[in-house]
Amino acid sequence: MQEKELGDHIIQVDKINKTFPNGPHALVDFSSNIRRKEVVVVIGPSGSGKSTFLRCLNGLEEIDSGSIIIDGIPLDENKKNRLEIRKEVGMVFQLFNLFPHMTVLENINLAQKCVRKKSKEEALKMSVDLLKKVGISEKADNYPGQLSGGQQQRVAIARALAMMPKIMLFDEATSALDPEMIGEVLEVMKNLAGEGMTMIIVTHEMGFAREVSDRVIFMEDGAIVEEGTAEHFFTNSQEDRTKLFLSQIL
Amino acid sequence: MMVQNSKNYRKLWAKVKRSPFTHIFMYIMVIGGVLLFFARGTGQLGYDWQWYRMPRYIYTVVDGEFIAGPLIKGLLVTLNITWISLILMFVFGLATALLRLSDSIVGRIVARGYLELIRNTPMLIQLFVIYFVLGPIFDIDRMTSAILTLSLFEGAYASEIFRAGIISTHKGQHEAAYSLGLGTFHTYWHVILPQAMRQILPPLTGQAISLIKDSALVSTIAIYDLTQQANAIVAETFLTFEAYFTIAAIYLVLTITMSIIVNIMEKRFKFVH
Repeated sequence: MQEKELGDHIIQVDKINKTFPNGPHALVDFSSNIRRKEVVVVIGPSGSGKSTFLRCLNGLEEIDSGSIIIDGIPLDENKKNRLEIRKEVGMVFQLFNLFPHMTVLENINLAQKCVRKKSKEEALKMSVDLLKKVGISEKADNYPGQLSGGQQQRVAIARALAMMPKIMLFDEATSALDPEMIGEVLEVMKNLAGEGMTMIIVTHEMGFAREVSDRVIFMEDGAIVEEGTAEHFFTNSQEDRTKLFLSQIL
Repeated sequence: MMVQNSKNYRKLWAKVKRSPFTHIFMYIMVIGGVLLFFARGTGQLGYDWQWYRMPRYIYTVVDGEFIAGPLIKGLLVTLNITWISLILMFVFGLATALLRLSDSIVGRIVARGYLELIRNTPMLIQLFVIYFVLGPIFDIDRMTSAILTLSLFEGAYASEIFRAGIISTHKGQHEAAYSLGLGTFHTYWHVILPQAMRQILPPLTGQAISLIKDSALVSTIAIYDLTQQANAIVAETFLTFEAYFTIAAIYLVLTITMSIIVNIMEKRFKFVH
């Protein structure tokens, strides 16, 4: 909630629809525009389409109709476009998804070497810097299985940041963590926001949302019910459904 | 006093039942019983066992020089065919599995077609078709026919093993690799396959053992492998039981050696921590 200069539109989502094969119409004519450096928090009941929206942004889910443009590149069949977008959009998962057969350092090095084509030394340098940034330099040579949930998630964030993405997506990044470890991950996310990263965060952590977000979107049944600043949301929400949801979780 | 004694005996009996010596003893009794059964059975056949005539077919020593007998020559042919076929089985198997999992419709159809065709016809027939029918057309010689048939046949089964292993990896791993921008090759090579290998290696070893045993079929197209050499010995000397038991033992040594090697590899590589 600082005073910051938001950039131009970096994500333009126009009337996207997504229906899953076994039924749910997850996104209904969903539209949203997100600016550079903006921190957007998406909240809503389960099944509202929040994760689906996030996953459509980097192509993990295919949309049935509508258009998505990321930093000027349309997300369509063109493989080159998709690859560009995947490089520019980083994602952090609820279950971390670290590569269990590689050390922490190797996890962070891999994409740098294979995709950004960096040399071993360059990749190593960035990995070490990132580990310092997320606060677990001492675990560099450990395997994911030897780390706590909070540590693993921080490694996952470092791994995504190693690709120097323009946008970071967080899909319920703290939902699978024990309460005492949520704080350390939120701290990292807060710092990232402070550095001006464009972030879209699906979360249930309302305190965090209030403190860090520029905009909050409340979704239900695949559509936006209400959106506005955190202040607006938590003190002065308009829609009944929003008030109901907030009363249940706050 | 009486109650105390019986309690002691029961404790002792429990200890005896659990002890390893009891198990070894029981094992010897069972195996001994089976062997005894066979010995008496074959004894009834009135067969004249002439084991002493077998060693010369394995090797002879002439003037201090070690000369390999026909069985060793046959073993070398079998080993030759087998190691090349094993590598090709791996290649065909992995390629087919990847094709079946790919986005290309043509790739999937070709892979599926190959799989169903090979799995549903006997290997012996495939061998004859390749050697007698395709051989003259494409000028394929005996050894090539044998190696081709073996690797195509076992490769088809191997592909299902690879596919099962790949599918069993956590979806999240694919998603993480995807979000990092990793291409198909890098995703499989660095992320998926190393993890899938844990599921793949045990059944794949079984498939490799099948390959070694199925290699005996190449004897039908007059390749002088281990089996065919045994056939030749039997034709000459009628030492049926001795010859076939001997090569059965040699095949057993081959397959057990392979199992041991793979076990060591599995422990050394420890694919997932």
